[in-house]
Amino acid sequence: MVKFRFCTVALLCLLSSGALAHGVDDATRQFLQNIEGAAIAPFLYIGAKHMVTGYDHLLFLLGVIFFLYRPKDVLVYVTFFTIGHSLTLMFGVLNGVALNAFIIDAIIGFSIVYKGFDNLGGFRRILGFQPNTKAAVLIFGLFHGFGLATKLQEFKIPENGLLENLVAFNVGVELGQFMALAFVLVVLSVWRRHSSFLRFSMAANTLLMSGGMMLVGYQLTGYLLA
Amino acid sequence: MTPEEKINYPVQSIAALAKATVVAVVIATIVLVIAILPAEYDVDPTGLGEKMGLTQLAPKPKVVASQKAPQEKPKGGFMSDRVEVTIPAGKGQEYKFHLVKGSRMLYSWDSMGIPLYFDFHGEPDGDTTGYFESYTESTASEVKGSFKAPFDGSHGWYWENRTDEPVSIILSTQGQYEVIGLK
Repeated sequence: MVKFRFCTVALLCLLSSGALAHGVDDATRQFLQNIEGAAIAPFLYIGAKHMVTGYDHLLFLLGVIFFLYRPKDVLVYVTFFTIGHSLTLMFGVLNGVALNAFIIDAIIGFSIVYKGFDNLGGFRRILGFQPNTKAAVLIFGLFHGFGLATKLQEFKIPENGLLENLVAFNVGVELGQFMALAFVLVVLSVWRRHSSFLRFSMAANTLLMSGGMMLVGYQLTGYLLA
Repeated sequence: MTPEEKINYPVQSIAALAKATVVAVVIATIVLVIAILPAEYDVDPTGLGEKMGLTQLAPKPKVVASQKAPQEKPKGGFMSDRVEVTIPAGKGQEYKFHLVKGSRMLYSWDSMGIPLYFDFHGEPDGDTTGYFESYTESTASEVKGSFKAPFDGSHGWYWENRTDEPVSIILSTQGQYEVIGLK
């Protein structure tokens, strides 16, 4: 019974962050388009909310920290992810680089499949060595950042105060990430103490891969229909 | 010491990896085909999405206004115009078109990122009571849409510039109407 309970808790955590994902509601859209000058707190909030409700970013992070036992390691990997997505978020918005949102989101979905497979030891088994995990987190972080940049640019935020607002949005993304991670870490570290963790890590990472595949299919279909 | 040495997670066998991958693909395909695609895009290969009512969730395809001239030609014929309207600082301005009942107009206006309060409305012909019907009342800097006149009369926009500088709007229209212009 105990293992089932933990499995359910983990699943609920996977699912509870859903619903809004990338959809930005009309009120936020109105606000973003009408903004004049720097608006630090609102952009912090939008950034944090985007992260807490963005299940694709969260699933990827869950995959990344699944087997990280020490807080120091969690910090190192999350920092690599942060560097990656901050670079492309700032670069993308400041230079007006917007890639196709469906393609970017499909790549983000693929990053989840990759991490799930990696967590099953798939690359070590097939390739005979472990592809650099920090590099993978950094590279996929770059794509996640392009996704954020593409979303932000859909709103045509006025130039006035753009840099300040962008930095605030980025800091908000980190705050949101931190809050979501703290939550996931608590659940994972409790679960790890039980023998069910290793037995269910196979199932959990299979589900993670499956979730990533759903995102890929969802976004590629959107791309083909658009 | 590489980070990999610190993380001792199990390396699954080829058989287990294959099983995990197949299970992941099967679950993803089932959920995509019977739930996600019907609910998000109204793409429903199995017909189950329709039966479960999921396809109602999909956003309806946008109605693309026909650019072709209609069979019955109301007065005005098919027009295509592009005009720049300047709203003085702190003032309001109207720009109107005459449309007969049932005729259509495709429109877009853009104030180059400066948000304006606007009221898209119509007044019936021959009305002296000051009656008007609002179609859209909002604040925006860019609006696109299509419109079917509910009655014979003058239809158009009232914009209000609440900034202290004049604002220019580019207004593009296509359809069956006569330009009334600034009012």
